[in-house]
Amino acid sequence: MPLAYDIVDRTLANGLRVVVNEDHSVPVVAVNLWVGVGSRHERPGKTGFAHLFEHLMFQGSRHVASGEHFAALMAHGGRLNATTWFDRTNYFDTVPKGAFELALWMEADRHGWLLDAVTQENLDNQRDVVKEEKRQRYDNAPYGNALNNLYALVFPPGHPYHHPTIGSMADLDAATLEDVHAFFRHWYTPANTVLSIAGDVGVPEAYLAVEKYFGPIPAGPAPDRQPTPPLLPSKAPAHLSRVEDVPSGRLYIGFRLPEDNTADYLAAASAMDCLGGLTTSRLERALVRTEELADYVSAGSLGLADGVSLGFLVLQAAEGVELARLEERACALIDAFADTGPTAVDMEAVLAQTERSWLSGLASLEERADAIGHYTCLYDDPHAINTYLDRLGAVSADQVQQAASEWLRAQHRSVVAIGARGDEVSVEDEVEAQAEARASGSRRAAGAEGAA
Amino acid sequence: MTPKGPRRPGVRPAPPWSFPVPTVTELDNGLRVVVYDTPGQHVWSLRLALQAPLAGEPVDLEGVGTIMARTLDEGSENYDVEQMAELLERRGVALGAGVGERGLVVEIDVTRRQVTGALELLAEAVLRPTFPEAQVRRHIRTRLAEIDQERTHPGQRAAIAFAAAFYPATDRLSRPTGGTAATVERITREAVAAYHAEVVRPGGSVLTVAGDIGAVDVVGEVEHALRGWTRGSLPVPPAAQRPRVKRSSIVLVDRPGSVQSEIYVGCPGPGRNVPGGWAPFPVLGYLMGGSPQARLDAVLREEKGYTYGVRCGFRPRRDGGLFIASGSVRTEVTAESLGLLLDILEAGRDGFGEAETAGGVDFLCHTAPGRYATADTVADEAAQRALEGLTTEHTTRVLQDMRELTPKRLRKAYRDWIDGTWTSVVVGDASVLKKSLRKLDRGEVTVLPC
Repeated sequence: MPLAYDIVDRTLANGLRVVVNEDHSVPVVAVNLWVGVGSRHERPGKTGFAHLFEHLMFQGSRHVASGEHFAALMAHGGRLNATTWFDRTNYFDTVPKGAFELALWMEADRHGWLLDAVTQENLDNQRDVVKEEKRQRYDNAPYGNALNNLYALVFPPGHPYHHPTIGSMADLDAATLEDVHAFFRHWYTPANTVLSIAGDVGVPEAYLAVEKYFGPIPAGPAPDRQPTPPLLPSKAPAHLSRVEDVPSGRLYIGFRLPEDNTADYLAAASAMDCLGGLTTSRLERALVRTEELADYVSAGSLGLADGVSLGFLVLQAAEGVELARLEERACALIDAFADTGPTAVDMEAVLAQTERSWLSGLASLEERADAIGHYTCLYDDPHAINTYLDRLGAVSADQVQQAASEWLRAQHRSVVAIGARGDEVSVEDEVEAQAEARASGSRRAAGAEGAA
Repeated sequence: MTPKGPRRPGVRPAPPWSFPVPTVTELDNGLRVVVYDTPGQHVWSLRLALQAPLAGEPVDLEGVGTIMARTLDEGSENYDVEQMAELLERRGVALGAGVGERGLVVEIDVTRRQVTGALELLAEAVLRPTFPEAQVRRHIRTRLAEIDQERTHPGQRAAIAFAAAFYPATDRLSRPTGGTAATVERITREAVAAYHAEVVRPGGSVLTVAGDIGAVDVVGEVEHALRGWTRGSLPVPPAAQRPRVKRSSIVLVDRPGSVQSEIYVGCPGPGRNVPGGWAPFPVLGYLMGGSPQARLDAVLREEKGYTYGVRCGFRPRRDGGLFIASGSVRTEVTAESLGLLLDILEAGRDGFGEAETAGGVDFLCHTAPGRYATADTVADEAAQRALEGLTTEHTTRVLQDMRELTPKRLRKAYRDWIDGTWTSVVVGDASVLKKSLRKLDRGEVTVLPC
């Protein structure tokens, strides 16, 4: 279905791209800034820096005291935060319409003149906070580092997506004030930033205010945007296995996918849905409902901008099911799908579910502003929110099958296998049983080991 | 224009706002249909709220409500499990069901043009589920695996330990909503079907529909889809009377090798129907632990760097409620953090300043239009109030009352509940923490295995 959100797109003299979607349904405005820097731009020894830097953006700027950004906007009914990811960093504020200019002023102050206020004390404090974030989200959480491990398996050493956004403790420790200054000057320029605004503000009024507050920010050079050569599917399977103090074993099975915002990516992402993202998907139906080898299956497609994306399946083994057996069955189903492709019902389901979730997302002003920023910042397409469903609808079953055949065969997989506590014993048993089997030459003994 | 940029702009006052007003129809069978027309919201949200208090579950089958909720869409009189799955996906329906202290909410999100088909599937799931043996058995097994998972996750483990320590064993709330391994293992398909027959009744239930309604005859569509549903209403058992906890205590759940400690602290709080009104309590929760500049994080995060964040708030229950503060901190500073946290919470008894009060009131009142801007948030709010026997007029009244709050009223409301008696749970490495927590002198320390 064609969507018709009004989108106005202009660029200030200093290079700041400003996209406005006027919507008077509620007396609220969403302000959203995408800066074209994420963890993929970090150099070796500096991992985690883009995210640490994002924290410092809340610790004061030329006219704003440390912590005042949160405190002042929230006291006027603002909801705000920021996130860092592989390709970008985003900053967002949803405010009552009467606080729209205050939000712009505060954003302009830190995006223009952060460095006046950065101190060693703030850097040290936020480094500690980020370390606690890392411990809470990853190091102290069951399976917490599984996806981080998967990135490192799917993407080769030195590749921009090889390391996770949270970075390493050692690199966080090594970050200096000079790094903060250099990073800001290099990446936080108007030409590397998209400001999107959605909500209860007229277009002329919005541009006047943006010009007033963001216009004075010096232009600065646009950062070099040399793309990384695209990656093809992995040539051979890669595995990382370990045992954790968790009750159930899990497989995280990753694949390279085509770069986001292409027809090939949409086809591959649709294939991921058919494999594990729907109640009717191949793995869910076979492994969870019919054969009961898994407690659950999920699938995700992580669209990325620099020559490759990531698709992944998560399978939790049912009690008593060995991960090797689960992986073997999953691989057979994955290859079978690559051979046959989706049915007409699969295609209908993917489109219907994507339509609902896409429209649900755009229903909220903050998510709509974020989607506009996403497609404008990474793909130079401010109108993408209106055309996305049509582009998905144009993907044929043949294209999905071709994408699966090219990218989603078992031979292209990378697997992080997290064994449950107690599995150490069975691994040893397996080694012994294999030794016995070799000694006796008995096929029966070799078969028995799998059940041990 | 100076090189320093333009002056800081002022803020124009926000226009008055109230929660959207629904049209309400009571059907012949007692079901109330509450419709919110929210123009521009092309995805509709439907929430069917059914009174089914946890306390009504058979004691030896606790968790039966959760298994029932999870198997509603696993096969019906007209569609088997695969047909049901296929129809839901092809119509783009997101269907979910969840159980809380008061009852069951069945949720549907769907685009407007698929609403008729979604209502048909809602009726299949709610009125005509068959609970196939194999699917019930599978969900029981999955729930048992989930119980194991909850024990390894520090936040969930802390919440479970808190409930067990805070409520007497006779209280249903002392045990997980989804049941324990001992009770879940006993659940059968017959027990699920019997529980369904008992609680799924139109009388006292509320179906909320929010979305861009246009010319759709929602009530007519609902009446048609749910025709034949006539089984009266469920008598709701009285709420438990809870004695107030008299002494502070610390439960230390040993999780060897933890690099952080999860802290979960609580005391009794008010119910939503508290004399004097509910309005002060969201504001108090926000001022103490609702932002990085709130009192807890101003010290524990922004000054000390001990945590990624500590949150707190008042949580109403059927009878009374809770005040809870929780977060995770670096292992080495666990006892110090717990001590600081309790000190900060108790210092709230000394009261809140004018500016602090105004900031908290403005945050909650002025974020409301944005927080309730989408069909799903409107429907969620209405469904939760419905389970409490309230409507969203209550939401509007609380917001109006909030604007009148004074520092004096906030102080009184806080002192009514926060008296310095705490049930504290710490999930972390006991070999490192035991001694320092005992030295803290914040109640007797009991160590539990994970």
